Amino acid sequence: MTSGATPRAAHGAQATELPSAAGGTSARPRTLPGGKTAGSAVTGSEVTGIEVPGGEATGREVMGDGGSVLTTARSRLRRALPLIAGAVVLAVILLINLLPGSEKDDRPLSPGNPAPEGARAVAQVLAAQGVDVVRPASYDGAMESLRTGTATLFLNDALGYLSAGQVADLTASADRTVLAAPGARKLTALDEDFTLLGPLPFDLGDDSPDLAADCPDAAATAAGTVSATGTAYSGGIECFPTTIDGGTGGLYVTSVDGSVAILGAPSILSNGSIPDEGNAALALRALGSSPTLVWFEPTGADVVSSGEGVNPFTLLPDWVDYLLVWLLACSVLAMVWRGRRLGPLAAEPLPVVVRAAETAEGRARLYQDSRSVAHAAATLRAATLTRMARRLRVDRSASPGEVLEAAARHGERPRAELEQRLLHYTPTTNRELVLWAQEILDLEKEIP
Amino acid sequence: MVITGRLVLLALLGVIPVVLYPGATSILLWAGILAALAGLDLALAASPRRVGLVRTLPDSVRLGEQCRSTLVLRNDTARRLRVTVREAWQPSAGAADPEQSVRVPPGEARRLTVTLLPARRGILRVETVALRSTGPLGVAARQVTVPAPGVLRVLPPFHSKRHLPSKLRRLRELDGQSAVQIRGAGTEFDSLRDYVRGDDVRSIDWRGTARRRDTVVRTWRPERDRRVVVVLDTSRTSAARILDEPRLDTGIEAALLLSVLAERGGDKVHFLAFDRRLRARVDSTAKGNLLGSLVSAMAPLEPELIEADWSRVPAQVRAASAHRSLVVLLTSLDSGAVEEGLLPALPGLTQRHVVVVASVRDPRLEEMSADRSTAAATFRAAAAERALLDRAAVAHQIRLLGAEVVDAVPADLPPQLADAYIRLKAAGRL
Repeated sequence: MTSGATPRAAHGAQATELPSAAGGTSARPRTLPGGKTAGSAVTGSEVTGIEVPGGEATGREVMGDGGSVLTTARSRLRRALPLIAGAVVLAVILLINLLPGSEKDDRPLSPGNPAPEGARAVAQVLAAQGVDVVRPASYDGAMESLRTGTATLFLNDALGYLSAGQVADLTASADRTVLAAPGARKLTALDEDFTLLGPLPFDLGDDSPDLAADCPDAAATAAGTVSATGTAYSGGIECFPTTIDGGTGGLYVTSVDGSVAILGAPSILSNGSIPDEGNAALALRALGSSPTLVWFEPTGADVVSSGEGVNPFTLLPDWVDYLLVWLLACSVLAMVWRGRRLGPLAAEPLPVVVRAAETAEGRARLYQDSRSVAHAAATLRAATLTRMARRLRVDRSASPGEVLEAAARHGERPRAELEQRLLHYTPTTNRELVLWAQEILDLEKEIP
Repeated sequence: MVITGRLVLLALLGVIPVVLYPGATSILLWAGILAALAGLDLALAASPRRVGLVRTLPDSVRLGEQCRSTLVLRNDTARRLRVTVREAWQPSAGAADPEQSVRVPPGEARRLTVTLLPARRGILRVETVALRSTGPLGVAARQVTVPAPGVLRVLPPFHSKRHLPSKLRRLRELDGQSAVQIRGAGTEFDSLRDYVRGDDVRSIDWRGTARRRDTVVRTWRPERDRRVVVVLDTSRTSAARILDEPRLDTGIEAALLLSVLAERGGDKVHFLAFDRRLRARVDSTAKGNLLGSLVSAMAPLEPELIEADWSRVPAQVRAASAHRSLVVLLTSLDSGAVEEGLLPALPGLTQRHVVVVASVRDPRLEEMSADRSTAAATFRAAAAERALLDRAAVAHQIRLLGAEVVDAVPADLPPQLADAYIRLKAAGRL
């Protein structure tokens, strides 16, 4: 049994010994370990009787890696600790971002938006005056809030999510309604008769005369004047009257009984313009007349399908979601199955790869880039002369003239021609170089 | 722990209950069933930590030949072992089937054989054996990586041995005709013969005379056993590849042929691999088979990416052989490296020894110099001619310093070096 290349049972320790000069030491290589020569292969000995010693080494028995399930689990955990920590940090960051409180409210005329186009000032002043400002998240929520008691509805549906029927229903269940610049279609289903006249002409200057109330409505009268422009409506009581295309209308229009009001200029509620003129008076009186204010801003979720478009997801059977979840779990399992390696990777010490002719190629490119035609020609000429001299048995120290003399004696060409073509001509362009190089190669081959 | 494809298939079967009874319950139930099955299988699997491994590996294998590494697995548990074994051989070991599955009943052992066809000379290593023991259900497995290092020495192929019979024949023909250049009677004892009038009385062997009762003289003959020192350059220039073979490997082939030939010719052979330090040394005077010692010393040689220090070579040669010897330097004749390294050190060697500088020539340079079809090719031809001229100049300088030069393409270097040796021996210059 030899110990030269014997795998040792070692608990993690590297116990391999290499015989002789593996590490580059100057140790005299030992004679090869004999081992079991009986079974060794005799290689290449048929012709010359040379035998390369074979021999086999049988290692000691190795069992296990010196660990246990517990130590493996512990070491895995220790190795995975940075990953776990990273995942926890990531999850915390995600959670903080997903928390509802931190969501930035930047919609215009939103009662939570403190920006100049928001309406937090009005909502907070109303709340300070004892009005309960409710912000339902959905149409159903709004209906629910309206049903509970005496409430004013402020409906700000700037993007027109609600249908006319929904608006009518909301209006019907509210004790008092203020609609913020509704579209013409939204007014069709209302009991009261309102019409959209059109937008007020846009004033470039800030010095346009503010509109005066000029109507019997208490809120408008209290306000006196408002600053903002907007859309004019006609209806029961028209305040802040104006004339557009021949028709008369107002920016603030209420029904005769005062239960429905249309605010044609909702921008007067914004934080930026609420302090101007009588904007604040109109806003507070219009919205703060009942103990509860339902401030409803519809979202895309409140859109009711009108029959012509069908959400394709509603056509899927209800098990599809669960199936997708389960297939996701299966794919994760498959990844774990295929991703586990059978043991660590084996390292391969790679040899250096240097092509010997590399330096010559590099020099060739240098010649070409610097257009050293004359230099290349001189080299080719010298090489040709050297080879000719060797073939003609002329001494290496012989001059080119002597070599050509010998060549003329052995070949058919006269010496003058050889001299002219080989010695006295130097190409100047790449094209000439190629032709000349081929020619002197032919001259060289002519020599027997 | 490892999961198997069977577990994934079972998980996919879970699609049926999820579709039939949609809801979180069926998902959780199926996941629970899978987890329970995997846990049960893990608990029932034989422990891979209680598997005894014994590897039997040949000490060495010649490059280009196959060998087998056998691994005996002994199941030390009371359970049936279903195991997939992977021997982590490095890729150049050319393991044909490093991953194998086997079943071992409790208390029994099984033998696995991995066939290796190494792709490169050198030392091959295997560090670990990975065992994956699957449970009886085949849905989960336990996996352990066992450190079980093994080393396989891949010897140089010695292709040039095909030249050996012819060279040996030529060497034998030299016997009896070699001119001996040493004057006088020589120092090596040859035989005893009867005294003839005129013999030097100092050469009378008195002991033999006493035995024979007749005067007997000793005769002497010149030393026949010459010394050959082969120095293989392992510096950076030996890394260059010529015809996709490093210069070092061609040098190894040439050194092997020359060493074996010289040993058969009755000479003492010393082999040195040197760059700045001694990398390997083999002497034919040591015990054992010279070729065996040579190939195992050459197997781990790698080109070192450092410049050779030729100034130390004379001392190394003196340490190997104190007498006049034939010193063969297997190196490269690239101009630049030689002018600064080898040439200044050569006089120190040629004073005492017969020196042969052997180098591999790149056939690619001749191809390049003959191709003059385009401008780029012509510039390449000029560069190749420049390299060849420089090489010729270096060779001439070496010859001027009194050394022989053998410059040949890879296939021809070993026989030409052997020829040079035979020529020198025939001329009695050794």
